[in-house]
Amino acid sequence: MKNTIITNNLNAYFGKTHAVKDINMKIGERVATAIIGPSGCGKSTFIRCLNRMHEVIPGTSVRGDVLLDGKNIYDGDVDPIELRQKVGMVFQKPTPFPTLSIYENVSVGLKLNGINKKSYLDEIVEESLKKAALWDEVKDKLKASGMSLSGGQQQRLCIARALAVKPEVILFDEPCSALDPISTTKIEELIQQLKQNYTIVIVTHNMQQAARVSDWTAFFLLGELIEFGKTQEIFTNPKDKRTEAYITGRFG
Amino acid sequence: MKKIFLLICIIFILSCNSNSRKKTLVIAGSTSVQPFVEGLEEMYIRKNKTAEINIQGGGSSAGIQSAISGTANIGMSSRHLSLDEEKQLKIIPIAYDAVVVILNPRNKIDNISLEDIRKIFSRKILNWKELGGEDKEINAITREDGSGTRGAFQELVMKETPISNACMVQDSNGSVREIVKADPWSIAYISLGLVDKDVKAVKIDGILPDRAAVKEKKYNFMRPFLFVHTGELGKDAKDFVDFVLSNEGQNFLEKEGLIKVGTTP
Amino acid sequence: MNREKLIEKTFFLIACSALFLLALITVFIFKEGIGIFLKIGFAKFIFSPDWAPSQKQFGLFSMIMGSVWITIGALIIGVPLSLSVSIFLAEFCPKKIARILKPAIELLAGIPSVVYGFIGVVILAPLIREYLGGPGLSVLAGSMVLAIMILPTVISISLDALHAVPKSYLEGSLALGATRWQSVYMVIIPAARSGIIASVILGMGRAVGETMAVIMVSGNAVRIPHSILEPVRTLTSNIALELGYATGMHREALFGTGMVLFVIIMILNTAAYVFTKRKVRK
Repeated sequence: MKNTIITNNLNAYFGKTHAVKDINMKIGERVATAIIGPSGCGKSTFIRCLNRMHEVIPGTSVRGDVLLDGKNIYDGDVDPIELRQKVGMVFQKPTPFPTLSIYENVSVGLKLNGINKKSYLDEIVEESLKKAALWDEVKDKLKASGMSLSGGQQQRLCIARALAVKPEVILFDEPCSALDPISTTKIEELIQQLKQNYTIVIVTHNMQQAARVSDWTAFFLLGELIEFGKTQEIFTNPKDKRTEAYITGRFG
Repeated sequence: MKKIFLLICIIFILSCNSNSRKKTLVIAGSTSVQPFVEGLEEMYIRKNKTAEINIQGGGSSAGIQSAISGTANIGMSSRHLSLDEEKQLKIIPIAYDAVVVILNPRNKIDNISLEDIRKIFSRKILNWKELGGEDKEINAITREDGSGTRGAFQELVMKETPISNACMVQDSNGSVREIVKADPWSIAYISLGLVDKDVKAVKIDGILPDRAAVKEKKYNFMRPFLFVHTGELGKDAKDFVDFVLSNEGQNFLEKEGLIKVGTTP
Repeated sequence: MNREKLIEKTFFLIACSALFLLALITVFIFKEGIGIFLKIGFAKFIFSPDWAPSQKQFGLFSMIMGSVWITIGALIIGVPLSLSVSIFLAEFCPKKIARILKPAIELLAGIPSVVYGFIGVVILAPLIREYLGGPGLSVLAGSMVLAIMILPTVISISLDALHAVPKSYLEGSLALGATRWQSVYMVIIPAARSGIIASVILGMGRAVGETMAVIMVSGNAVRIPHSILEPVRTLTSNIALELGYATGMHREALFGTGMVLFVIIMILNTAAYVFTKRKVRK
């Protein structure tokens, strides 16, 4: 298996708080990797380090390396703006842009890069919405506000938005925690499909979800990586007692 | 707690009493007269340490109104009273004042004909070059409608010609003088007594409005400064009016640039 | 229980007294001013440019235009400035600098308007006269002084609106590969739009209502200005300049001016209220 993302001794801080401690992980290409762990274990912070969204918050810092296709994304010559187009992100709460239409929400990423050709934009918008399994539901109201959609639709709109800029990696930060079960199922199915073509990293609270969608699973606790392996093995035969305790529901 | 409250009440009542025993004399009105009366008051207080006089501006009409309504013991006016006002009030002229046209000292012009002054303030002449000066627009400044100085200027200088609405308006002698001091291309009118070294009084038809010209009756744009009251003056007020009309008071006014009562009309 | 009720009633009464005062003022202004509308007619009073109280000519149009010109000027200068400051403070400014900058801006609101007017007369007007021409005391001087005076209002309200935009909007945009500025421009400002509009309207109300500084710097000529370098008189200046002398119809006309101002400010405040409400509903 080829590795898309490799982290070497990755540390992240909020001011003096050491939130992520010495993480060494190899995240495979075109597979879904789930990151599980109790609240406050640093899993969200960790994936935000993978597209340099952690540094957006004032007072934070990162130490260590993150190699994307062999290139350290924390090198001085890497533009975080370009990086974030390669490594897309979907957040816990659906965040469509409130004043933009559905069409504009999907095309905005391309427009930011100076792509304005109408026919090309039309094509990408349709393709992205199809990939996000939203096309059939919105194709007749592309001009409507993104806020007019339901929560689950909004989240798929955000996925379409991330897909439109043709990323290699998509990071999901608890994408279903604000959604109802039916919407959750749809997003999970979508992730299953997307991993054919994209490298997926998904942070989740929900262990069943991790078991359903991911190929690999990492268990974080108090900022440390406790165990990382094939999802099946982690859930059936965990090596570490703490992992076992967590997945059997004894804490967390 | 209650005792303290009671004490405060008593102190308050006592202090009210002590205030009302010695009544403050209120004088209000024309901003042209005000600075001179303030000067007189300072002298008066030095002699009568117990006197309390409160001098307010507001303009001639406001002064007349407050004398009629009783808000002020004495009203100050720098214009003649209307017939209606005259019926309700007693008038004491305290001095005469000349209204003079002033320019910024940087302006080379120092003589303007009466006709041209009327044209300037009615905005028929708009540029100094028409008067032989520099090619600069004339910034004419007038006082607000109702001002005693404006009334006097209209009546004495402009006569039938209306002052144009396009003139800038300032609402006191002081701010008129400030603007003329700052703006080299401005023209305005104020009391002779308020002309200082930062502005220059311009000759009208060749006559420089200084005190000599006024005394010799060569310069005729004069108006009275009046005290007005409803009839009966209290003792405090009467004492002050007597002081103003005394030699000492009149000499002070003359020193400040006004004309004594009795010397002219 | 009784005590509780009593306190409640007392506060209710005190609250009512504020409302009562407003009602009293409104009734008073309208009672004193309505006469002029009846005597010379609504249209003539509002749309005639001739104002000469001594000749019984009462037309407010010059003053209405004066207020409009000066206010628009103040908005043209003041709004971009205020919004730049609030966007900088909300999105780009390091916390340490914001801690100094924000109170400093709020301090601007505490400076008495006569001080602004004085600075306008002593510094601004001579500069305008020297470099641009005209008498200096002008629409431009008035607008510039007002622009500074509305800064604190516009900045603090638009800043609140910008702060109220959920952080997730910014993150969503950044994660798409937008720069900080692109995110602010395309996402945050549109999301805060209603609050920003409300701030501008309230600033406008402040500009229309300001008196002292405007009297000092705008020259007060009763004439519809043809250029920004000409002097103008605003509605508020008209009242303040002449009320001291006014009697009879003149006085009624000044209260009539007050009525016009009252209605303008009411419309502006209602508009601001509607816009802020819209934001809350979202």
